[in-house]
Amino acid sequence: MVSQIKLMSSDQATIVVDKEVAERSVLIKNMLEDVGEVDEAIPIPNVNEAVLKKVIEWCEHHKGDAPATNEDESDSRKRSTDIEEWDQKFMQVDQEMLFEIILAANYLDIKPLLDVGCKTVANMIKGKSPEEIRKTFNIQNDFTPEEEEQIRRENEWAEE
Amino acid sequence: MMTMSTPNREDLQATWSYLEQGVEKIMRDLNSGMDMNTYMGVYTAVHNFCTSQRAVSASPALQQAGVHRGAHLLGEDLYNNLIGYLTRHLSGLKQESQKHADETLLQFYIKEWDRYTTAAKFINHLFRYLNRHWVKREMDEGKKNIYDVYTLHLVRWKVDLFDDVQKHVMDGVLKLVEKQRNGETIETAMVKSIVDSFVSLGLDENDSTKSTLDVYRKFFEFPFLEATTAYYQIESKQFVAENSVVEYMKKAEVRLAEEQNRVQMYLHPDISAPLMKTCERVLIQEHAALLREEFQVLLDNDRQSDLQRMYNLLSRIPDGLDPLRTKFEAHVRRAGLSAVDKIADGGESLEPKIYVDALLEVHTQYQNLVNTAFKGEAEFVRSLDNACREFVNRNKVCKSASTKSPELLAKYADSLLRKSAKSAEEADLESKLTAIMTVFKYVEDKDVFQKFYSKMLAKRLVNFLSASDDAETSMIGKLKEACGFEYTNKLQRMFQDMQISKDLNDSYQIWLKSKPDNGTAVDFSCQVLGTSFWPLNPPNTPFNIPEVIVQTYSRFVDFYNEKHTGRKLTWLWHLCKGDLKANYCKNTKVPYTFQVSTYQMAILLLFNDQLTISYEAIENTVGLNKDFLDPSLVVFVKAKVLTISPSNAKPGPGTTFTLNTDFRSKKIRVNLNMAVRAEQKQEIEETHKTIEEDRKLLMQVSFDFSVGCRGFVSHSDATVCDCTYHEGTQGHEACRPRAGDNCTNTVTIYSQNPRHQEVHRHSVGERISGASGRRTFRLPCLGMRIIHRSNGEFDEVSRYFFSGDNCYGSVQCVKFSRCHFSFRRAGVADEKGCLMDVITA
Repeated sequence: MVSQIKLMSSDQATIVVDKEVAERSVLIKNMLEDVGEVDEAIPIPNVNEAVLKKVIEWCEHHKGDAPATNEDESDSRKRSTDIEEWDQKFMQVDQEMLFEIILAANYLDIKPLLDVGCKTVANMIKGKSPEEIRKTFNIQNDFTPEEEEQIRRENEWAEE
Repeated sequence: MMTMSTPNREDLQATWSYLEQGVEKIMRDLNSGMDMNTYMGVYTAVHNFCTSQRAVSASPALQQAGVHRGAHLLGEDLYNNLIGYLTRHLSGLKQESQKHADETLLQFYIKEWDRYTTAAKFINHLFRYLNRHWVKREMDEGKKNIYDVYTLHLVRWKVDLFDDVQKHVMDGVLKLVEKQRNGETIETAMVKSIVDSFVSLGLDENDSTKSTLDVYRKFFEFPFLEATTAYYQIESKQFVAENSVVEYMKKAEVRLAEEQNRVQMYLHPDISAPLMKTCERVLIQEHAALLREEFQVLLDNDRQSDLQRMYNLLSRIPDGLDPLRTKFEAHVRRAGLSAVDKIADGGESLEPKIYVDALLEVHTQYQNLVNTAFKGEAEFVRSLDNACREFVNRNKVCKSASTKSPELLAKYADSLLRKSAKSAEEADLESKLTAIMTVFKYVEDKDVFQKFYSKMLAKRLVNFLSASDDAETSMIGKLKEACGFEYTNKLQRMFQDMQISKDLNDSYQIWLKSKPDNGTAVDFSCQVLGTSFWPLNPPNTPFNIPEVIVQTYSRFVDFYNEKHTGRKLTWLWHLCKGDLKANYCKNTKVPYTFQVSTYQMAILLLFNDQLTISYEAIENTVGLNKDFLDPSLVVFVKAKVLTISPSNAKPGPGTTFTLNTDFRSKKIRVNLNMAVRAEQKQEIEETHKTIEEDRKLLMQVSFDFSVGCRGFVSHSDATVCDCTYHEGTQGHEACRPRAGDNCTNTVTIYSQNPRHQEVHRHSVGERISGASGRRTFRLPCLGMRIIHRSNGEFDEVSRYFFSGDNCYGSVQCVKFSRCHFSFRRAGVADEKGCLMDVITA
């Protein structure tokens, strides 16, 4: 029998989830170990319902993954920006949601999800000019023209 | 609700005071349980603080550091606050610890340690966000003294508490262990917990994820070993003063086992080796002299189990056994010598069996001792071998002649292999032959054994006296195994000759039948034996072959010459024998049959023509010289076949002999072919003479060492040395070969001892008169030890040859001194043909 636990999002929604799925989060896993299982819903004060559901969806899909704690593997994961197909589709969300997922993954300590999120962002930056990046992420250019010129000169070597 | 209670993420003060409450609860009150809200609250507070907007603007202190690039990670404030908290917490513990001592201190320490480390695991989880980001970054950047939160707990424990209390804790531990050594029951789990705690505190300075045993070694192992030393020093001194050495050995054994056990029960396995070493030093090494003194006493009383105990103890310390081996060797030698002394009074008539049994008994006794008490250890086996070699070759019996041992041994072998009334069971015989080999192994003059053995084997074969072919083959096999093919070659050939002779006789019978007058009156068979393989000499007396057998004799010669042209047959009349039917005796219906030698036959046949014959007439007709004639006549007179006149005279000129027609005997077959005692003795002397001569021949080869002579033989064990020399173009002129001469001579010396399986080949000059060609000599070069000197000082070499300081006894020194070795100091580089090779097989 699969044991289930309850999570409570920051907006007070209770979500029932398989323990195995929830334990993709190191935070939840440690807590269950340290405190012991309880009937009460576990408060997740930093994540709202919509994001939490999204995160759980990812965890559901990846529940069978081998725990990748190996240093080498995390290295190779860092180097490549390849994202598997399911994760690419999963990440086709609006920017707001994308950042929420990344924050939640960081908070909940789900390293593989955090990696996928960061890679997605990295792919959004790749091959774009500073101006395009600013546009993509809605960043205001707070450099003065002089400052910008100076930075450009300093980084000339990298532009070629 | 929860969100309400989490502090403002921007506010360090608020955040920390919130966190400290959580940490304090975990530290003080974990048992009452941890509620999930607090757990999540603390975690979230750490997360929130570390991800607060302050991260962007950063604190002034961090900006000054200026080493950070990119987004700054917050957390240092939390980390430092945690350190502050731990320090306060631990100093409280330290104060409290002062209320306790000894066992209660141990209890206190263990209780607090367990609580503290459990809490540390929780706090480590709660501060995981700090570990993942701030701590990781600091460590990646190579900062020293930054640890993950769990390790930080251990580090603070070590610094803020352990360094001050460890001494008191150790005092408690040592008192506890001492109690146990004194026989009290203690709670060993306490010591084990302390050990575990000390081990946990060992952190690798360079890599905090690794642990070392440094802290444990310094603060636990070291004082523990010191206390152990002190304890056993006092105990053993006292015990030795009040008890016997044997009792002490038992005590030490028990103590050593206890300490070993102690390691398994509750100490760290790492202490095993040093603890044992310490105990061995205090319990054994420091009393080694005392133990060794007792060794002789134990040997004298044959206290096997105590000897074993002593062996076990002394084998544990370096060089512990050497003095025992020396004593053991001397003891066995004395035992052997005194065993021989007891039986040596028989003088010449000493039974070979008694002698060999005496040697074997000593050997068996001490071999058993070596196997049981000394675990058959190789060095003790060697001491035993050395001692046996000594008493086998140089005992009271050997005093008259150093060759006595091999001689008696060969005689004993003969008595076993010879057909006799009480032939031994086959299995029994085999084990006795094996026992002979045991003694043989120690015999130095193996050539003497060989000579005697082959003489006796020849006799057994010629006279068909062998008890069993299988036993003969088995014995030769054993000798071959021990000494190699060369050693037994002749023995084997002798065996072959017997078979060939059998076939030859068969074909002679067939040949005979093809002749017209095949009905000869005499049954005849003979053995043809290769001269070079049989230790038989042609008769040294003239002899006129009696008329009756001349025909038989010449017929066989014809047959043989027909078969093998150009071979010379030498008839060994002194070994021949025949049966005579005495038809003249009045006292019996069935004629007696006399078994006689050919010489005796020739004499008796004379009485077919007349009943009384004078000594001179016999002498003339038979042609034998006095040495052979007289003993034969004596036998006849004693057996009353002939009567001598004047009666009671000894055979000689002037006496006459008459056939006794009244001869009586209980048996129909009368054996008159008995070797006379004097003959036997003479034979032994002859054998010795042959040995001497063989040896001399070899010694005449003079060694001429030359350039490049760097080393020579060092054989301390029984060795047979085969020297083969080829005479070169120089003929037999006394010469020394020069460079380029065709006169390369080789001496090959090889050891029979498997431990010295080297073959040394030397080029030597030879100096010998004799026929040219190739000859092989064999001699034992037992204990020959020749020291090599790279500077070419052969004087030194010769000194070793002649004085034999380092040789085994004097035996072979006498031998060597009889021969003339001439050493020559060679000039440099002029004699390339004379380089010496040392080949290690």
